Amino acid sequence: MSRITNVAIAGVGGQGIILAGDIVAQAARSAGHDVKKNEVHGMAQRGGAVVSEIRYGKRIYSPLIPDGEVDVLMALELLEGLRHAHRVRAGGMVIANELRLPPAVRVPDSPEYPDDITERLRGAAENVAVVPAAELARRAGNARAANTILIGVLSRFVDLPVDAWKSALRMCLRPSLLEVNLLAFDLGRRRRKTAKR
Amino acid sequence: MSSVSPPALCALLSGDEAIARGAFEAGVLVATAYPGTPSTEILEALTECPGLRAQWAPNEKVALEVALGAALAGARAMASMKHVGLNVASDTLVTASYTGVRGGLVVVSADDPGMHSSQNEQDNRHYAHLAKIPLLEPSDSQEAKDFAVLGFELSEQFDTPVLLRITTRTAHSKSLVRLGERTERAAEGFSRDPAKTVMVPAHARRRHELVEARMAKLAEYAETCPLNRIERGDGRTGVIVSGIAYQYVKEVRPRASVLKLGLTHPLPERLIRRFARSVERLYVVEELDPFIEGQVRAMGVKLARAPTQARTGELSPSAVARFLGVRRRKSRAGAADLPPRPPTLCPGCGHRALLTVLKGLKVFVSGDIGCYTLGVQPPLRTMDTCVCMGASIGVAHGIEKVSGRSDNIVAVIGDSTFVHSGITPLIDVIYNRGATTVIILDNETVAMTGHQDHPGTGKTASGEPTHRLLLEDICRAVGVKHVSVVDPYDLRSTRELVRAALQRSEASVVIARRRCVLLDRGRVRRPFRVDAEQCVGCGQCLAHGCPAIADVTPPGSRRKQVRIVPELCAGCGVCAQICPEGAIVEAASGE
Ligand SMILES: Cc1ncc(C[n+]2csc(CCOP(=O)(O)OP(=O)(O)O)c2C)c(N)n1
Repeated sequence: MSRITNVAIAGVGGQGIILAGDIVAQAARSAGHDVKKNEVHGMAQRGGAVVSEIRYGKRIYSPLIPDGEVDVLMALELLEGLRHAHRVRAGGMVIANELRLPPAVRVPDSPEYPDDITERLRGAAENVAVVPAAELARRAGNARAANTILIGVLSRFVDLPVDAWKSALRMCLRPSLLEVNLLAFDLGRRRRKTAKR
Repeated sequence: MSSVSPPALCALLSGDEAIARGAFEAGVLVATAYPGTPSTEILEALTECPGLRAQWAPNEKVALEVALGAALAGARAMASMKHVGLNVASDTLVTASYTGVRGGLVVVSADDPGMHSSQNEQDNRHYAHLAKIPLLEPSDSQEAKDFAVLGFELSEQFDTPVLLRITTRTAHSKSLVRLGERTERAAEGFSRDPAKTVMVPAHARRRHELVEARMAKLAEYAETCPLNRIERGDGRTGVIVSGIAYQYVKEVRPRASVLKLGLTHPLPERLIRRFARSVERLYVVEELDPFIEGQVRAMGVKLARAPTQARTGELSPSAVARFLGVRRRKSRAGAADLPPRPPTLCPGCGHRALLTVLKGLKVFVSGDIGCYTLGVQPPLRTMDTCVCMGASIGVAHGIEKVSGRSDNIVAVIGDSTFVHSGITPLIDVIYNRGATTVIILDNETVAMTGHQDHPGTGKTASGEPTHRLLLEDICRAVGVKHVSVVDPYDLRSTRELVRAALQRSEASVVIARRRCVLLDRGRVRRPFRVDAEQCVGCGQCLAHGCPAIADVTPPGSRRKQVRIVPELCAGCGVCAQICPEGAIVEAASGE
């Protein structure tokens, strides 16, 4: 089993990217893999773009995912998904939260927030799932569990046992939030429409 | 279920957390630091550890001095800081090399290649050279922990401070670390030995001889040090590498022979020569400066011809592949037409209110480092200089000495930065009869680095109550006659106070005090809304750049349309004061 799995999580500072990355990394670790995870979080709280990268397999060297080797890109926001879509490998997957957050600061002469992100994502990656994560999370009992919905979807496309995911959720979340997040995880995992094309 | 049980006593730690763990296991008794990305989490992790003191210092120089004192009293001690922090502490570092230690002293420098959150990308390995002390460069979290532990041993064995240098990528990457037990080490206390610890010239001359002798011994040690090892590969290509670059080399050229250096100062010359002889093509891969390469070349060792390595920015697997001539799948370019998403001041940030006032007064702003530096961005654009922590006041005073005017310039500095290095330049202003206006942005925390306490918050790193340093008292004590405190949310009073200060022919300090909104989240304020009947579409509310105010003007329309996003609005009411039409009003409850 020499294959390495590369997961990138992109979003906006304050969306819980670092925690989501911790959950994925812990799940890989619980399944007995070597794991590296990295992100740059100096400005994480100030609404800037943030990425977390998780790599697991038998032996991991670089904590950075080499160019063009992302297996699954999980985007907590559409624009941030598109920003990293070119890093997805041929045959790779994008799981994108159906959320549009225009940048708080409009840099002069910068382009408008694109209208056609979903189409462009489909052009960039072979498999794209756009997920109404907030709506599903509300169904699970808390709109703030949206990231866990996406993690549930992710769990169908990477090779880790379901127990590893659940033990990661237990390790990374406060006990009071655990139940709703376990529900959200199951909702995401069971989602039919995201099946590979 | 056995597949989901992780190996015992193994944890997924960041490089920072691993260094903290190493210090804990090595029996450290005193750890000090001043916050700075990417080093901050080292001390934060240590505040959770039993059996030691972990404390914030007002700046890095003090941090290192406290750690040195503890080490001279026989304890193992650690000071951690970001790369530019070591500039502040360098005076202490270079002479601490002469005094040496009693208990082990490890100084952690967290460099930031690529400047993810820094004002420069200096390569602090040069400090090891300058101070003539050993330098350790871990390449992942396990090594970060192991090297920290070994650092304390080397420090004691060779009677020297040890520099442990990490970079953002090692500091903030998480990987698996095997945990060990803490070894308690008692400190025997300070004992007098002036020839070692009083650096007057007569003593220092003798100590310098010992420092040179120590370097020779360390160079000998480096030859057999277990941190410097050859990993034999196919024998043709050889790479000398340290730190995170090692991981990139293994990633892109797994079969190359590698001389992995963990101790990179002093270098093991014989080992390097032996390795060079054993390969056909020899490369040195390193991030930022040619620290190792320059020394290897000076040894007369021949390196393979290769593309020049960038001396700017961060390395990546692709950059290393290119350098080593490894062909890789061509990667796609990212979309070029996407709006950037820079970080920004939060809705309700007091800094934005103050900077809005300064924008209106059209003054030159001598800035400093902290969240408020984000004010340089559009649409505020209210910062004209920013160099390093504490520079704002001195730079403003210098400009004033040339222009002869003090009515068109202010120095702007945060509370933690003022305590770090703003007090001495304020003394200079008073001493040299300046009339500078200094504005202290007091948000009662170190916000930029993630809300640490400092002497002005009245709480220690571990949360104990302590004396709260009052900034107004300090300013008065150094001789500032005009000191006022204002809530920057109150735009009119703030403007009046700043205007009066500018007009005065004596130095003034205005303290704009408003607790960081991120600390005040629990407090519910009613959001504001735009009354469409009253709004004339002038767009003035957009000019202070609050993320809660959305520009929803239909394309082609000249008249601006704005909406306040209630989920983002912090209810500070600053925009309501800016609106000339009174069209921004508090939302009714339940709205
Ligand atoms: C010498 C040095 N040490 C540390 C840092 C990292 N750093 C940048 S801003 C800052 C402190 C900012 O605190 P404050 O002045 O209170 O402003 P705030 O961010 O709270 O607005 C620190 C520690 C630095 N840039 N330089």
